[in-house]
Amino acid sequence: MRKDLVFGMAGSGGDGIVSAGDSLLQAAAAEGYHGVMTKSFGSQIRGGESSCRVRISTDPILNPGGNLDVAVALNWEDFLKFGAELPVSGNTVVIYEAATNIKETEIPLVGVTPLQVIAVPIAEMAKSTAGTERAKNTVVLGLIAGWFGIGAVAVMKGIRKKLAKKGEELVEANQRAFDAGRAFAMEHPLKTSMNVVASETKGQVKLITDGNDMCAAAAIFAGCEFFGGYPITPSTEIMQFFTDHVWKYGGAVLQAEDEIAGIGAAVGASFAGKKAMTATSGPGLSLKSEMMGLASIAELPLVIVDVQRGGPSTGLPTKTEQADLFAAAFSAHGDVIRPVLAPTSVADTFRTTIEAFNIAEYYQTPVIILSDQEIASRKETLDPIDTAQFKLVERLRPSGADLQDYKRFKQTDNHISPISHPGMLGGTYLASGIEHVESGAPTNSGSVHQRMNDKRTKKFDPLKDRKDLFEVLGNPDAPIAMVAWGSVAGVCREALAMAQAEGLNVKLLVPYLLYPVAEGVYTDFFASVQKGLVIEQSHLAQTFKLLRMHLDLPKGLTSLARSGANPFLPGEIVAALHRLLSELQRSHEGKLQPQE
Amino acid sequence: MATRGIDFANLSLMDALDLAILIEEEAEERYLDFAAQMEQHRTPEAARFFRFMASNEAKHGLELSARRAERFSDAPRVVNRSMIFDIEAPDFDAARAFMSPRKAMEAALASEVKAHAFFVAALPALRDADVRALFEELRNEEVEHQELVQLELDKLPPDSGLSDDDFVDEPSAQ
Amino acid sequence: MSATCEYQAKDYKSDLKPIWCPGCGDYSVVQGIYRALAAIGRPPHEIAFVSGIGCSSRIPGYTTAYGFNSVHGRSLPIAQGIKLANPDLLVLAAGGDGDGFSIGGGHIAHLIRRNMDITYIVMDNQIYGLTKGQLSPTSQKGRVTCTSRYGSMENPVNPLLYTLAYGAGFVAQASPTDLAGMSAIIEEAIRYPGFAFVNIQSPCVTYGEEAQQIKGLKAIQGTLASLGHNPADRLAAMDLAQHYGSKLHLGVFYRNPEPPPTYGDLVKERQALLSKDALPKERILDLFIKK
Repeated sequence: MRKDLVFGMAGSGGDGIVSAGDSLLQAAAAEGYHGVMTKSFGSQIRGGESSCRVRISTDPILNPGGNLDVAVALNWEDFLKFGAELPVSGNTVVIYEAATNIKETEIPLVGVTPLQVIAVPIAEMAKSTAGTERAKNTVVLGLIAGWFGIGAVAVMKGIRKKLAKKGEELVEANQRAFDAGRAFAMEHPLKTSMNVVASETKGQVKLITDGNDMCAAAAIFAGCEFFGGYPITPSTEIMQFFTDHVWKYGGAVLQAEDEIAGIGAAVGASFAGKKAMTATSGPGLSLKSEMMGLASIAELPLVIVDVQRGGPSTGLPTKTEQADLFAAAFSAHGDVIRPVLAPTSVADTFRTTIEAFNIAEYYQTPVIILSDQEIASRKETLDPIDTAQFKLVERLRPSGADLQDYKRFKQTDNHISPISHPGMLGGTYLASGIEHVESGAPTNSGSVHQRMNDKRTKKFDPLKDRKDLFEVLGNPDAPIAMVAWGSVAGVCREALAMAQAEGLNVKLLVPYLLYPVAEGVYTDFFASVQKGLVIEQSHLAQTFKLLRMHLDLPKGLTSLARSGANPFLPGEIVAALHRLLSELQRSHEGKLQPQE
Repeated sequence: MATRGIDFANLSLMDALDLAILIEEEAEERYLDFAAQMEQHRTPEAARFFRFMASNEAKHGLELSARRAERFSDAPRVVNRSMIFDIEAPDFDAARAFMSPRKAMEAALASEVKAHAFFVAALPALRDADVRALFEELRNEEVEHQELVQLELDKLPPDSGLSDDDFVDEPSAQ
Repeated sequence: MSATCEYQAKDYKSDLKPIWCPGCGDYSVVQGIYRALAAIGRPPHEIAFVSGIGCSSRIPGYTTAYGFNSVHGRSLPIAQGIKLANPDLLVLAAGGDGDGFSIGGGHIAHLIRRNMDITYIVMDNQIYGLTKGQLSPTSQKGRVTCTSRYGSMENPVNPLLYTLAYGAGFVAQASPTDLAGMSAIIEEAIRYPGFAFVNIQSPCVTYGEEAQQIKGLKAIQGTLASLGHNPADRLAAMDLAQHYGSKLHLGVFYRNPEPPPTYGDLVKERQALLSKDALPKERILDLFIKK
């Protein structure tokens, strides 16, 4: 009996593979399991190679998983196109379309003998029961229900609901296809049973959503009333959520003529006193730099979401990467500090987004949320979130006294000035990108410039003490460490658990605040560290370099970095940790450890 | 379907034969294009059928070329491809991702009907008797081709009646 | 400039397999471009074809010209740079309605003002296809898309009026509903000595509305010639251009009967005039000798 299964399915867009994955995820959630689904496809708009990965577990899921437990290949050509995204091991059960006319002993997987290989006449079953080969995806769901005990009832319940409006004939066709798949599985049991244990949380409410929708919902919860943006893969869904819902809350959304107009409109809305947001991916972030600089010097609150994808330039629009860190922290000329936050899962996208608005409003600054394509488009089940636990922060508004002789950029003890907005009697001021004195009037004085730069940078000092924006897992005194953020953090959390189970003394630091660099937090973390890895999907190892720029790193801390679209697997990180352990042990050869 | 710059009234037999060859060539290229599109979009049965149609067009083209060579050996061609537009080549619009073999055959049938209409419409304008005879022959052949495609169509089991859109994945954003 | 030789349409077709959905209007458009280029006969390597981002912007890769699939909305500045660097090249630019009239909207006016000998082809399908079906600048008001579930609240841009009002010397509209006409118009646009704009109604078979597919377009199409339109009359052209969205007028809206010198002509003239004043480059610093 298993507690966790990772399914990887591939075919073409016409095979409805992603649709099947979705049904499986929904059914798993209905049965009380935790689930995560990611998808990947070719560059055709439709009908290209198409795959999805569904992980189902009785425990909360940290990442989409490493090697597949179950591989479903509707044809080999498409399955192989996904290479390292669908890794098969000696523990994988491989199910494939018999009509490919490939013998079970001759499947085209190099260098590995799977646990079991089964050819199934999926298309034939679909044709004979549903009348169309297109019902292959439902047959696959039936096979999964039969072999792994997931979704026996829930899948068809979900399909019925989805297709209710399309007519009974379609639903019945799907039912027959499903039943045929299930019957086949029952008649051909697996050599090793891989049924999943029943979940203890069956019947409890579960949410299912993806990172983009979660971010938008969190923004609306946080009080965001304006969104300005432009379509760009993989962030467009955030804008779409706003176009569907923000009107209901008296807010507004503008699909602008371009990225710059999108953020421009958001800057305007913030100037007018509203919490505002824009969302984009790498190419759009590059375009938005000038406006971000403007918001920084004008000290206007603003949230900018960058859903990272492969770069540079147009790059790989449908793949994830973590190479926008430099751009997020540094783009826009001049001396600017701009906070950068990063969620690590769909679930914590909620609180990360709220935190971004709170920081933006409190410090009167643009804040960038660095999400990534994987978090943004993967679907996750979540336990309901108690929204009452979150405090929302509003910008400091001028009091009656402040408005007597209002100075927008008045120097204060904490460098934060009360901020007015058009419509407020007595609060009139000039906002601009030009350097300014306390009232907002333009200046080119060197001493004023120095004071204003001090104000605009020192105001962020308290952020660097926000230990709550960092997560440390494992033994705090461990000599071996990992640092990872974003979707890679999820992989490292699982690697940590695996390594600890193997007796390694390891710890993991997950920063949610990437910039400004909280030197104190890192210094504390690295105090015990003799060997470590900064793990990231960035060819230039941007995180490692950013840390090195701000602190003295332990000599044994090295970089494990590679280009996006090359996912890290928990197993390979554990192997890397073992190597560090060997190096550590070798370096301590012949040395008596000091007794504490 | 259209033509440009063809003087039907003064069309010579050589030119008429060459035009007929070009029409087959255009159709063959289009069917090959369609087959490539179907393969690129994972619709193998339609791809196979389009390749079959391409080879048919190629065959007709070769037959016509043989006749032309016999009559006119290698006298330089006067007419060219820029004069014809989708005479027998199926309309671009006819292809669809995930199209069924039935739809693919219907597209081929529509092309044969189109080609037939072309020869019928051209006949009244032709003055040369040999050319008229050729066009009548080609017109009649189109009827045969239609019957052949119809035969294949009749062999097909009826479509399931279920819409593909209810099964296939949504398009993907790039 | 090389002599024009015998080229066929297929000489301009590359081996790259299009990602376009089968049925996409762009398959016809690229055929029209192959035919037009064959009729003109410039060797493929003397052609530079620039595009932005979008489904239709993939088009340069499907030709054997030197292609530049650049960034969203910036095909025209890049095309101008190419033309200024080597005026002998045949320079084409292409993209969709979003690439051209939304993010790229600020550039068209300036290329028109400069009147460089560049041909700009826009594949207009009233939607953002590549990113999965959002509103575009030419979408009709009230249109439901995934960013306008309750209907668009914006009036569409009229690409024809836009370019005519800015003073373009050649403005035409074409569609795959009339293949012969389309390739003739593209050829004429390329031959026109100056900036030429061709708006092509190229239906999106995946996200486009039913009424805007080939059948729907055929129902509302007609040629400008059949209306007796005189393409030398800019005001008449602008009048007819107002039917954009309700009628599909095919043909040349406006062609300047006396094309003025292009920007390239003026550059050449200036270079010729000033070349005699050129110091040898190794003596360029003599400019700073105090007299």
